[in-house]
Amino acid sequence: MQNQQEKSPTEFLNNVIGRPVLVKLNSGVDYRGILSCLDGYMNIALEQTEEWVNGQLKNKYGDAFIRGNNVLYISADKSR
Amino acid sequence: MTTTATNQLLPLELIDKCIGSKIWVIMKSEREFTGTLLGFDDYVNMVLEDVIEYENTPEGRKTTKLDKILLNGNNITMLIPGGEGPES
Repeated sequence: MQNQQEKSPTEFLNNVIGRPVLVKLNSGVDYRGILSCLDGYMNIALEQTEEWVNGQLKNKYGDAFIRGNNVLYISADKSR
Repeated sequence: MTTTATNQLLPLELIDKCIGSKIWVIMKSEREFTGTLLGFDDYVNMVLEDVIEYENTPEGRKTTKLDKILLNGNNITMLIPGGEGPES
């Protein structure tokens, strides 16, 4: 039971705040950056953001806000 | 047609039993995931580990390996315990 608590969505998010993440949107576009904060809607604020489309780096943003309804998944990003 | 709740298993209890084991997630779109289920919440947002993402396109299937993800429950269609995935 305690183990389950540790791995719940909320706990996962608490563990990745401030860390590099990969956010994939429903459109298939990837955003890599440092997760500065997020809320219960999965609205996300990223720093040092890179926009990847079809495996190619398309853009860079200092700060980016992603509206939560577009988010497919948030992954801890090992490659940064 | 009344069922008492003695040995009836609620849908989310079935998923709760899958925590720690492999699961196969099919999305609304042409996308599927397999991985070890670490946890989920009331919206069926799921935390998965050792994930393979399958993206089915007209050109074929594209797979991506991911370490640990929080999958948004919004677009999930079906969950299949066991997690053989689309390639079995």
